[in-house]
Amino acid sequence: MQVRIGIFICNCGKSLNNIDFPKVKERVEKFQDVVYVDLSPTLCLKEGREGMLSAIRERDVNRVVIAACSPELKENVFGKALEEAGLNYNFLSMANIREQCSWAHEGDVTEKALELVRMAANKARFLQPVEKKDISVNKEILVVGGGFSGMKSALELSGLGLRTTLVERESALGGKLGEFEGFYGIETTPEEMLSSTRKAVEENGDIKVLTSAEITRVEGQAGDFTVRIRTGEKQVSQSFGAIIFATGYVTKILPQDFELKPEVNIISQRKLVDMLQAPERLERRPGTIGFVLDVSDENSRLPILFTLNNALAVKERLGSEVYVFCKSLKVDSEGVEKLYREARERGVVFLKFEEKPRISKEDGRVKVEARDVLLGEEVTLLCDFLVAEEKVLPPEGTEALSSMLNIRTDSRGFYQDENVHLYPVASERKGIFFVAGCKGDLDFTRTSTDISSAAMSIYKLLSPEKAIVEVEKVKVEPEKCRACLTCVRVCPHGAIQMVRVDTEKEVAKIYDHACDGCGICAAICPAKAIRFEGYADEQILAEVEAIGESL
Amino acid sequence: MENNHVLVIGGGISGIASALELANGGLSVYLIEKEATVGGYVASFCCKATDVCSNCSVCVVPQRIKEAVTHPQISLLTNSTVQKVSGEVGNFRVEITQKPQYIDAERCIACGLCAEVCPNEPKAIHLPSFEAVPYSYVLDETCCLHFKGEDCNLCRDRCPTNAIDFKRKSKSQELSVTTIIVATGFEVFDAREIGSLGYSRYPNVLTGLDLEEIFNREGTLKLASNGKEPQNIAFIQCVGSRNEEHCYCSQVCCKYAMRFARLIKYQNPSAEVTIFYIDLQTAGKGFAEFYKECKESIRFIPGVPVEVLEAHSGELEVKFENILEGKVNRETFDLVVLSVGIVPRKDSWDSARILGINLGDEGFFDAKPFDFNETNVEGIFLAGTCQGPKDIPDSIAHGMAAAKRAMEVLARCK
Amino acid sequence: MNGEDNKIVAFCCEHSAYPVANKAGRMRLHYPDNVRIICVPCAGRVDVQHILKAFEKGAAGVLVMGCQEGACQHLTGNTRAKERVKYTESLLKEVGIDGGRVRMVNLAPDMAQRFIDEVKEMAEKIEGR
Repeated sequence: MQVRIGIFICNCGKSLNNIDFPKVKERVEKFQDVVYVDLSPTLCLKEGREGMLSAIRERDVNRVVIAACSPELKENVFGKALEEAGLNYNFLSMANIREQCSWAHEGDVTEKALELVRMAANKARFLQPVEKKDISVNKEILVVGGGFSGMKSALELSGLGLRTTLVERESALGGKLGEFEGFYGIETTPEEMLSSTRKAVEENGDIKVLTSAEITRVEGQAGDFTVRIRTGEKQVSQSFGAIIFATGYVTKILPQDFELKPEVNIISQRKLVDMLQAPERLERRPGTIGFVLDVSDENSRLPILFTLNNALAVKERLGSEVYVFCKSLKVDSEGVEKLYREARERGVVFLKFEEKPRISKEDGRVKVEARDVLLGEEVTLLCDFLVAEEKVLPPEGTEALSSMLNIRTDSRGFYQDENVHLYPVASERKGIFFVAGCKGDLDFTRTSTDISSAAMSIYKLLSPEKAIVEVEKVKVEPEKCRACLTCVRVCPHGAIQMVRVDTEKEVAKIYDHACDGCGICAAICPAKAIRFEGYADEQILAEVEAIGESL
Repeated sequence: MENNHVLVIGGGISGIASALELANGGLSVYLIEKEATVGGYVASFCCKATDVCSNCSVCVVPQRIKEAVTHPQISLLTNSTVQKVSGEVGNFRVEITQKPQYIDAERCIACGLCAEVCPNEPKAIHLPSFEAVPYSYVLDETCCLHFKGEDCNLCRDRCPTNAIDFKRKSKSQELSVTTIIVATGFEVFDAREIGSLGYSRYPNVLTGLDLEEIFNREGTLKLASNGKEPQNIAFIQCVGSRNEEHCYCSQVCCKYAMRFARLIKYQNPSAEVTIFYIDLQTAGKGFAEFYKECKESIRFIPGVPVEVLEAHSGELEVKFENILEGKVNRETFDLVVLSVGIVPRKDSWDSARILGINLGDEGFFDAKPFDFNETNVEGIFLAGTCQGPKDIPDSIAHGMAAAKRAMEVLARCK
Repeated sequence: MNGEDNKIVAFCCEHSAYPVANKAGRMRLHYPDNVRIICVPCAGRVDVQHILKAFEKGAAGVLVMGCQEGACQHLTGNTRAKERVKYTESLLKEVGIDGGRVRMVNLAPDMAQRFIDEVKEMAEKIEGR
């Protein structure tokens, strides 16, 4: 079909005084394929748009160039105007003659304005329509990890009307909530919270629980992930619309960090909690309990969270003396400053060191020696038990999972990559989310908001009414594809897969729902088989060609 | 449920995050903003990258703002406040009042011709900022001649789109919504409250917020006193946080101080930067590595300064207790930055009364334990820093979580 | 300034560089008028052939402007662009176009002054050749 370009130039209320508009109009009328040019003082307002609409209809314009202010401001307004005029919204090409021309330079900028219009017109010649379509998506969600976060995720999704399958590697649902003795100041115990959550999951008809089950393969894209789940000997494949990973973390005491002699017995928070829950089983009440933090990792919130809650429990249940050795208290979580003050008021003594404490054994007890910077003195403490800081580590299988999913971890091995655009719970692959502990750190507020954000993101992605995509905005032209797999490997969003077209040929296919429109694939394809509508090679090159093009 | 409207009070990053989640989830949203522009504080913040990103998250905001103001399902009402709330979950009736729109933002094309003819200095008609969204001129009634009784209509007569009308009145309307999300944000601790630290007395004592605005506007840091780059800078942490009156950690200050410290060093490698702290907050994704690098080029001194005075040389003398050495020291710097924290808005009391929600001990809106978004009123949820201090990513997450709570209410009713 | 063979083509990413050029305009921070900005969805969209075509058609300098390293929404877009620019630089050297006339710039949407500085620096390099 013959290209018929309409060029609409706005002079922004006649304020752009360093452009000779009549000259621009006169010159652009002579451009190839241009059938109509008009000047308006207020193109974006109703009167301007109406004028544009009638001109488009009367002159049978099928490509629209608008020379005006920055597209960011009014692109959607003009796009709607085009649709009203019966044109696809993608037939719009804009030239920024205000912020990036008139306002940006001193003196007359008519020549530059002319060139910008020419660039936009050149591009307009190659614009193709882009359609929007509803696509069906699978609304079943997969939640990997049956700890508290995983269970809560499944329950919240159910609250939004979505069905989930909850997969847990161990033989029972549970997780790490039991490592807290209590939540100071709250009546519900962790045990109660855990069991009520577990009960809610088991009684919820929208949640299918698979224990002793593992994910072995994930393929596909948002709206249609094919996941292979292994339970014992059996393997089944199932389709899900989105996946939440709540795979948690593990903690380990690293004795080498404490430079311990082998006979020194330090205990974990879990061990302490066991003691607190059955104090009658102890031979004698421990007189002094010490906690040491910031030795393996001075950048984690978990140790102080456990320590404060459990220290207060010790004070309440056992009445022992409690000492906490730390470098810098992590109080940047809700309520922690108050908890810290409460602990101090209850007699928990905080000692701050700059250099690592020295830990040894003396008379069957644990001796801790450190220089307390607040007192400015060397302190020696003999404890019946020393609760050692545990380093938070990614659980076993994280690396394998990361390569299976083709999703990057951060420099410590946790999900997700540090890129700020992924916060809080997204990954580079649309439809795959990570919540709570598996991201490397934890506190109650952030865990709770993670779970809710992921649930909301999924709801939005698989919107109950329909999922709308721009159809084939970025498309592989199958005849040109040489199946080199470069685009598949390079796509940061995992949106490209190989599909079989006949018995002999496989080509790359870009999935609209997963594509995020970066164009990295289009740039890298050695056969130039990928067309990105709106930023196709011919369109970009046409803009470049306009530079220095004489009439 | 027939009505699928949600009201979001506050057009900062949390409010915008909530509004976007709901709108993209198929609901209709009224987004009410008190000021003329949206984006809250973060819209005036700056990138703190050196040769790599330092994860401050400021750059994730502009895109969201743009999406929210152009979203077909979000009705944006700027210069608007909530006067009254009645009803209950599923059927709240909210009375909104919009300040007189002397400049109609829908007709303002930001050509600037009005400002050209304004006889006042500084101009009474101006743009709120260079990143303002909506990008529209606003009128400052306090210095506008017309409002002082003079017969000046120069801007109105010059405006090519007839966007200006001094006769406009404030408008009220009643909105009917199913749920309400409160995202009214925070205020920055007023450093003048701690007189001994010299803020507003000495031009070379700045706050973290001042730095954001300076870097956003100018890209580099120059001393107000002599226009040169500072060579010796001190950051003082916990100004207005972790004390009797504000018994919490503001969560953002240690990070922003370190990011600014690194940025200053990157732009001026010969500068000396010192951070005075109580407990350094270094947790969070990617921050451990960043902190490790900071330790190599920045002096960290545990100890909080008590006084900032002007030394004879015109420099600033900081008197502090060096905890490691156990004695009181004095050092001179040419720039002192007070890392001020997040405090509740002074008008929270009013908002709480209108909405019927409770304030917590610290003056932020109270959320239920382990819930963080739910208030004592069913159907009213909290998003962002109005519930407690948060950084940018956490504010966005909290806003998304609030949207989910609102969504749940509607899903239940179907 | 709009004579032959002295244009600067700036491929600007829609998330950072394009908005920052707008901010510079809003602030009326002036820069040389031989700059032509082409908007791209990500710096990673820019291909070697686009840069070479720019030189062929009269550009004396090319800037590829994208987000800060580590802050690309598409994770690897700006690093790929950086590699391509480096490769193009070596190609251009072979035909006698050197002296830093193709350059990768990383910035954020608020950094108007930085945008101006980079453009002015490129303009000076062109004049000085």
